[in-house]
Amino acid sequence: MDYLIHILVLVCIFAVLTVSLDLLAGHMGSLSIAHAAFYGLGAYTSALIVTRIGAPFVIGVAAGTVVAAAISFIVSLPSLRLHDDYFVIATFGFQMILVSIFNNWMHVTRGPLGIPGIPQPVIFGWHISSHADFLILAFVFAAFAYFVVYRLTSSPFGRVLHAIREDEVFAQALGKNTLRFKVTAFAVSAALAAMAGSLYAHYITYIDPTSFTVMESILVISMVIIGGAGSTWGPLVGAVVLVTLPEALRFVGLPSNVAANLRQIFYGALLVVMMMFRPRGLAGRYSFGR
Amino acid sequence: MQFVVNGLVTGAAYALVALSFSVVFRVGRFFNFTHAAVFTWAGYFGYLCWTILGLSLWAGALLSVCLSAVLGVLLELSVYMPLHRRRASGVVLLLVSLGLYTIMQNTISMLFGDEIKRLSGNTVAEGLSVWGARATRIQLAIVIICVVVFVAFGILLRLSPFGTRLRAVADDPDLAAIQGVQVHRFRLAASALGSGLAAVVSLLMGLDVGITPTVGLNALMMGVVAVIAGGVDSTPGIFLGGILLGLAQHLGVWKIGTQWQDAIAFAVLILFLVLRPQGFFGKPLRKAAV
Repeated sequence: MDYLIHILVLVCIFAVLTVSLDLLAGHMGSLSIAHAAFYGLGAYTSALIVTRIGAPFVIGVAAGTVVAAAISFIVSLPSLRLHDDYFVIATFGFQMILVSIFNNWMHVTRGPLGIPGIPQPVIFGWHISSHADFLILAFVFAAFAYFVVYRLTSSPFGRVLHAIREDEVFAQALGKNTLRFKVTAFAVSAALAAMAGSLYAHYITYIDPTSFTVMESILVISMVIIGGAGSTWGPLVGAVVLVTLPEALRFVGLPSNVAANLRQIFYGALLVVMMMFRPRGLAGRYSFGR
Repeated sequence: MQFVVNGLVTGAAYALVALSFSVVFRVGRFFNFTHAAVFTWAGYFGYLCWTILGLSLWAGALLSVCLSAVLGVLLELSVYMPLHRRRASGVVLLLVSLGLYTIMQNTISMLFGDEIKRLSGNTVAEGLSVWGARATRIQLAIVIICVVVFVAFGILLRLSPFGTRLRAVADDPDLAAIQGVQVHRFRLAASALGSGLAAVVSLLMGLDVGITPTVGLNALMMGVVAVIAGGVDSTPGIFLGGILLGLAQHLGVWKIGTQWQDAIAFAVLILFLVLRPQGFFGKPLRKAAV
């Protein structure tokens, strides 16, 4: 039973990541490979503040979101001049720099050793320790992220994002300050990813840089695209499918390192197949990157 | 002095990777991550030929280069051609290549394991003395081959019909097709050339420092940085971009430590993308289509 709940908690954490990435990739049309970096930024900020200073969980989460939103300004800067695949490459660069910082800034992040012993969250006297408690918390996070993105994208703000996706020059011609919209969307997306990061850090109670590499970014992108970018349910479907399906590999009884590789191959193959034969994803309406 | 020699050797290798990537990039016009996978596979083909089959240095090298070229052509035929025919955008192609890269890298991990493999069986040879610094035979070979390949490629590009067609397809595939260039067949030729060239560098770097399943991605990213710094369409620019990147990394190491090499390279990438995306010799990038 704990195993099942554990899977559901992971689904919720990844749902926060996919929903927030979809705000950029699906709704605004700017694919970012730096999402795992913001996820990691939230995890590290929160873990460090809580373990070093002894601040409560809520402060850790808040600090993580603020730091990630602030750093996201640096990432949204290149979107001033870059389009499409050039922008993707720029975000790739940011991802690599941040992982390099997680790995090498030894006296803060402890590098590859990671940060152990991150305390489980206590929110206003509610000590969250059992898997079921975590599921409730993770569900609240996922619902919050979904609510924020849903409200944003069905508002006038969201219509401008869609206009940017369809034709940025046209949106500018209508007098929209597209840069401002892009920067805001980036900050929101990064802040939500950081929330997922803090939750992950306090759930697993140990973090190291391997959880936040470019492969993790690719995984989240695959989830968004396989589920269906820019749609209401797509990112959630993607998170559910790609977290649960590979778990089946666990019961085949392969050695763990082979299973990890097979899982990655599975993600890659699904991504290729979907892009080639059904670019709008399982539950989407908008074909990605026409 | 040792830093300058090391920087030149690394720079020469980067310049070659960048050249091989630029051949593929010019005709495909997207960031092809499978080029990194071909690079990795080439190293493991070398491992297979030399260490397991026990072929001689030249025979093994020739066979690995041919196998890699075939791999590149197969990828182009089976995946990219149908997508090009459907006029898929750069982002779609990038995502497909990312998925394929994941599959190919994990296949290597599964077959050979993640640990570093040495390609040269014999013991470490005494280095030669160059300007009061030490360099191995392989490192000298890298520099010499780099200069020869660049001169040969420059001549090929300017003076042969192949070069003229390459530039024509890079400029505008449709116009090239109207003029009677068989664009599809030409793409195959270019991917064979690019993959073969990548295999040469992969084997040289493998002989120098050994191979792991992720060498290709690291090498490709450095190649991309060099290409963007130098300007995609400028052969001398790519050469200079590679050499300067190598020097910057090694002089950076001298000041702040080895672990930040990657961070330096990606910082260079982002600076160029933000400030001068066409590189120092390139023509201005295409403007956003209206």
